[in-house]
Amino acid sequence: MNESIIEVQNLAKTYHKRGHTPVHALKGISFSVQKGQIFGLLGPNGAGKSTTIKILTTLIVPTSGKAAVCGHDVVAQSTDVRKQICAVIQDNALEIYLSVRNNFKTFGKFHGISAKEIDRRTDRLCELFGLREYLNESGIDLSGGLKRRVQVAKMFLIDKPVVFLDEATTGMDTFNKRTTLNAIREESHKGRTILLTTHLLDEAEILCDAVTIINHGSILAQGNIEEVKSMGLQLYTVSMTCQSDPAAWRRWIEQCAPVSIEQSENSFIVTVATEDQALDMIQRARAAGVFQYFEISRTSLEDTFIELIDKKTERKA
Amino acid sequence: MKPVFAVMYREYLIRRTSLTWMFFDVMVPLLYLLMFGVAFDRALGASFMIDGNAIRYNAFFLAGVIAMTCFGNAVNQSYGFFIDRDNGIFYEHLTYPLTRGELLLGKILFQGMMTVVQASVTLIAGVVILGVEIRLAMIPFILAGAVLGTAGWFFCMASATFLIRRNDTFNMVINASYFILMFISSLFYPTDQLPAWLKIPSMVNPLTWLTNVLRYLTIGTGSFNEIALQSAAFCAFLMASFFLAQRMIRKATE
Repeated sequence: MNESIIEVQNLAKTYHKRGHTPVHALKGISFSVQKGQIFGLLGPNGAGKSTTIKILTTLIVPTSGKAAVCGHDVVAQSTDVRKQICAVIQDNALEIYLSVRNNFKTFGKFHGISAKEIDRRTDRLCELFGLREYLNESGIDLSGGLKRRVQVAKMFLIDKPVVFLDEATTGMDTFNKRTTLNAIREESHKGRTILLTTHLLDEAEILCDAVTIINHGSILAQGNIEEVKSMGLQLYTVSMTCQSDPAAWRRWIEQCAPVSIEQSENSFIVTVATEDQALDMIQRARAAGVFQYFEISRTSLEDTFIELIDKKTERKA
Repeated sequence: MKPVFAVMYREYLIRRTSLTWMFFDVMVPLLYLLMFGVAFDRALGASFMIDGNAIRYNAFFLAGVIAMTCFGNAVNQSYGFFIDRDNGIFYEHLTYPLTRGELLLGKILFQGMMTVVQASVTLIAGVVILGVEIRLAMIPFILAGAVLGTAGWFFCMASATFLIRRNDTFNMVINASYFILMFISSLFYPTDQLPAWLKIPSMVNPLTWLTNVLRYLTIGTGSFNEIALQSAAFCAFLMASFFLAQRMIRKATE
């Protein structure tokens, strides 16, 4: 039976600033996250993702609605909630005057881990995140990407059942991003529940068991990746590269009534509405024998995301 | 108490990274006493009259220096919130398994220990170098008073750091407040001879209450009843500041 670890019901948050119009950052969103799930909260800038995380990590209180983490209300039992969570907040957060080693030490102490255990776990994290050579460097001397790496690595020093990651891989290079994603996946397999926000939809697509897309404080879509993708138009993309005469082939593609064509020299990315249309196009291209390369793929989460955001904007207009 | 010790441990590690900072923390009140105090002591000689008794300025000013130490320490510790906020770590701390009160308590307990060291050094210098006769039996109470004094001002200023977002504005506000609070208090001179427009605000100034209590404990000036009342008033100020600071932390995250 699924066990719900995070419950959010009609959560709303309005920011009031003297002399300014109130900002409705969240307009009554509801969702739940199951134990051991990697849950993605997706949306463009200003959608309300960070506000949601701030409420769930007890940094701010909601204007209305309810939210609970591990059965504890985020307002009435905020200290109990904090005992169950660890969070990478959106800002870079590091003890800049302390060495990386002492950053781990203070973080471990705050979470009640013994000095011996901190040392043991620090060793493992240094290996995992490639931090050994920076262990004695002060936070102030680290680059932005390294600061983020230390910040994320700290979360794996402790065993809290719920992890919040707000844009955790921002500023990381490809290698570290991959390490982080692997670590996140590994932790989820151990039964930890992870709620993350990201701008990188390919990252969400490979990592998340379930996603919720929000914009302007309202939910646009939620479910597992396939369910969310199916809420879009379910278009198909055909990628083709021809050997010669791209102008002639563009005319030929246009006759196939595609939704859109993107051309870069002799390469085409063609979007079509149905699977039959895509297969027919590939068959004809193959028969013509002038295409060096062709590939058919379904709409990505990113396509659906953009489509949902656009639809909402159109409706508003 | 574990979370409070974790905060203290963190403060200790940070302070340990700058020995210059630590040195000035300890030495500044001492320098104040030895330079400013000695100069005024020479200028005034034994002609300083309190309650009909001639008191040397060094003896009078000793409690003022300890009260200044409390205020200075409170400013230093509360300013740390700006540094933590700029580095984002302040917000991360608020997601740790501790209450807002424990965060504030951990910070002030560490700073209280610094105050004890500073006040002890100042008292030793006062007795050994300047020959001030203090009430030795009262030393534990002087140190406890200094810790409570630091706490009261720290909670008050922490509230200000959560309300004021810019550190330059905070600096301006604190410098102006310090200037006013110092000169309408009994820190440098007795307030009973001040004109009414200065005397009345000085009577409701927590810095006056703190200085008078510390002066009573060090050299025994003032009546017990008056001092008891001022102690109670300062404790009320401390408690109110503590509750206000806890509430204001929320403001800082909105």
